[in-house]
Amino acid sequence: MSMLIKRLSRYAMVTCLGVLAVGCGPQRVPPGLVYCSEGNPESFNPQLVTSGTTVDATSQQLYNSLVDYDAKSGRITPSLATDWLISDDELTYTFTLRKGVDFHQSIDFTPSRQFNADDVLFSFNRVIDTNHPYHSVSKTGYPFFQSIGFDKQINLIEKISDDKVAFHLNARDASFLSNLASGFAVILSEEYADGLAIRGEKEKIDRLPIGTGPFQLIKYVKNEYIRYHRNEHYWRTLPKSEMLVFDITPKSTSRLAKLITGDCSVSALPKAGELEVILAHDELVIDSQPGFNVAFWAFNTQKPPFDDVRVRKALAHAVDRENILRVVYQKTAVNATGLLPPMSWAYSENKPIINYDPEEAKRLLKEANITKLSIDIWAMPVARIYNPNALKTAELIQADLANIDVKVNIVSYDWSVFNQKLSQHSYDSVLIGWTADNSDPDNFFTPILSCSSVTSSSNRSRWCHPDLDLILAQARSTTNIEERKKFYQAAEAIFASQLPMLPLAHATKLAFKHKGVSEMELTPFGGISFTGTEESANQNKPKEELR
Amino acid sequence: MVRYLLRRLNLFLATSLVLFIVLFIVTNQFPVEQRFALTGIQSPNAQQIAQIETDFNLNSGVFNQFIAYLQQRLSGNLGISATSQRPVADELASVLPATFELAAVSGTLALMFGLPLGILASLSRHKVTQHTIMAITLTGYSIPVFWLGLTLSLWFGVELGWLPISGRLNLLYEIEPVTGFMLVDTLLSTSPYSTSAFFDAVLHIILPAITLAVLPFTVVVRITRSAMMTIMDQTYIKAAEARGLHTSRIVLRHALPNAVIPVIKSLGLMLGSFASYAMVVEVIFAWPGIGSWLVAGIYQRDYTVIQGGVLAVALIIIFLSIMIEVLHTSINPLSRKELYASN
Repeated sequence: MSMLIKRLSRYAMVTCLGVLAVGCGPQRVPPGLVYCSEGNPESFNPQLVTSGTTVDATSQQLYNSLVDYDAKSGRITPSLATDWLISDDELTYTFTLRKGVDFHQSIDFTPSRQFNADDVLFSFNRVIDTNHPYHSVSKTGYPFFQSIGFDKQINLIEKISDDKVAFHLNARDASFLSNLASGFAVILSEEYADGLAIRGEKEKIDRLPIGTGPFQLIKYVKNEYIRYHRNEHYWRTLPKSEMLVFDITPKSTSRLAKLITGDCSVSALPKAGELEVILAHDELVIDSQPGFNVAFWAFNTQKPPFDDVRVRKALAHAVDRENILRVVYQKTAVNATGLLPPMSWAYSENKPIINYDPEEAKRLLKEANITKLSIDIWAMPVARIYNPNALKTAELIQADLANIDVKVNIVSYDWSVFNQKLSQHSYDSVLIGWTADNSDPDNFFTPILSCSSVTSSSNRSRWCHPDLDLILAQARSTTNIEERKKFYQAAEAIFASQLPMLPLAHATKLAFKHKGVSEMELTPFGGISFTGTEESANQNKPKEELR
Repeated sequence: MVRYLLRRLNLFLATSLVLFIVLFIVTNQFPVEQRFALTGIQSPNAQQIAQIETDFNLNSGVFNQFIAYLQQRLSGNLGISATSQRPVADELASVLPATFELAAVSGTLALMFGLPLGILASLSRHKVTQHTIMAITLTGYSIPVFWLGLTLSLWFGVELGWLPISGRLNLLYEIEPVTGFMLVDTLLSTSPYSTSAFFDAVLHIILPAITLAVLPFTVVVRITRSAMMTIMDQTYIKAAEARGLHTSRIVLRHALPNAVIPVIKSLGLMLGSFASYAMVVEVIFAWPGIGSWLVAGIYQRDYTVIQGGVLAVALIIIFLSIMIEVLHTSINPLSRKELYASN
């Protein structure tokens, strides 16, 4: 009997030792960087979407635009275009294209030529020309371009020579270059598209992307990861990391846990409450950047009773925005006094857009003859830069509105379903926001509040106001900064008087990362760049020491 | 015996048919267009619509529709996933091995530690040892799996930093799926990092496997113990002792085979709860198996994925329960006797 027990315990001990031995084995990890991202991209072509998740995964990694925006100097800088000339009437922009730029190479595609004017023509004509063979390949349209009226803005894109392209505009537009610098105006390969069209596989162009960017897509597994390899023929300085992996982790707490255990080196979109955890870990640091964004509560102004400005104002008066700032953002955001964030050059210190006054709210509702109001608030299921926790925001609003006898029903779906259902326009109101794509103040108005954006999905209030459109058109037609500033202040005034949406806050853009990770760039706009990112002190990771 | 097997096969087919009928009815109840629920094609063109209508016989009566549905599903057409646009059957094939791997490792752990501990508990004359073992197993049995999973990952992952808490492998390792079993694939891989990748895969499976193994482990210990207690009192064991056989020989050779029979039976009964536990564990540890895939599909309103997932899980459970029953019958002399007597 005792022999048996002895033997059993020896057997157990050997097993335990085996497990330990495995744990102590030498660990060699391939060089690279893992970024914990928050969701599945909807497509691999940012032209087709406005969602930040998709832009993060594509614009800066897979593609280049004609021009870039340099956040430090606030200037438009060369990218695929080395140089550009603006005609005296500001209606023609002539770009000189960079030579020696290679496209990615994949199983489906081996480029036989380098980047040239045909690719520029293809990339933009696909968007603006409804008869283009690739135009209808997109099931979702081209929301960003539709929302800024890009097709009406451009008269003709002309190929002058292989390395010269001219954009002829219909009207002067001060925001044109800024729009070209946004993450949506990427350059695709015309040769790849032609090859796909011959084989009848057009839809592959957005799923298996070919671009000129620093990384190349290797594999995407839904709900799990996106793997990129470095583009060895990249025309700029090669990024330091050979591999980039987006580890798709929708839950914020899981992202934090993965960062702590070392499963990822950079983690996206933290909740404000998690800052303390990071401070408690010496090896982790917080990257922050004042955000070019605004979180808002948009009312569906084409649906009664929200077509009545008194109702919109009543609801806005009832919401204690200071409280939301304190609870949801925990001091990582500034109060919004309008749509424009303080960082914008067109910003001027306004008085608060609306004050917290439940009594006034009740009075307005009575005036509008509304009793027993019950509304739906759609809250995003995912964290976004502008609002890390829309559900909690919705709950706070629910409590506030209960004070004025308005019943609130909170609605939420998974992100892709949420987006899809939003585009059916059946909602009462939605908690969402906007991250600017470029520094131009126009980007805060035209894509989200203009009449042309009502048909695209980005105008969440479904608001169309001819006066505002007029002012915005005037603001775009001049390049004089002082004049433009006045126009945007006038636009803010109209916005404040009509209140199609209640701006809540301008959030600080945050990311958590390991100390060793250098040169990851948070831009104040959408998108995250990993060019040049590398984990310098790989051996010093705490996980390695413990093993 | 052949007749018995045929009857079991018959049972399998009948249960599966009921499953298909339920799925068919539920599919038509989804709050989306029927065509979309069946195929997952969001906005089909005219040609695709015609194709779907002929495939699923949508213009005829319910019975014919069901026959067409059955034909399509049995020939492997599960539609495409609305979110990824990939065939559901392909996705299923890529997530199933992960679940099997996890289940196999936890099953092995449960038996490897459960059987010896059960024997130990039954043989020990020490009241303290007996009570300790029983107290531990009862505790393990009553701990909710989601709490256990979260606690383990909090302790061993976040606080101590010993073990990774999500996924199957550090994503920097590029391992091409061959068998779908990460532990095998990492060894088959020709990458220079394949050994480290294997150890990394082992580290990744430890926490989810232990979490999932706790329930079957406790059950195995308890059943083994009670079966052994009964068997050790039997006269043939006493006879063996009287002949002076070594204890280990008596236990391993004469008692254990008989004690295993009720263990197998209880494993078969536990299969359903084991599967649902596996799903919870997969979600907690972000284990990319069928459970987390199905749960994500539910959140994403991916109706084809939901159908495919439910179909696969249910079919596997039905099949395995019947297999375990067959196994039980074939090694249990008593039920063999009943079998022939009843026939």
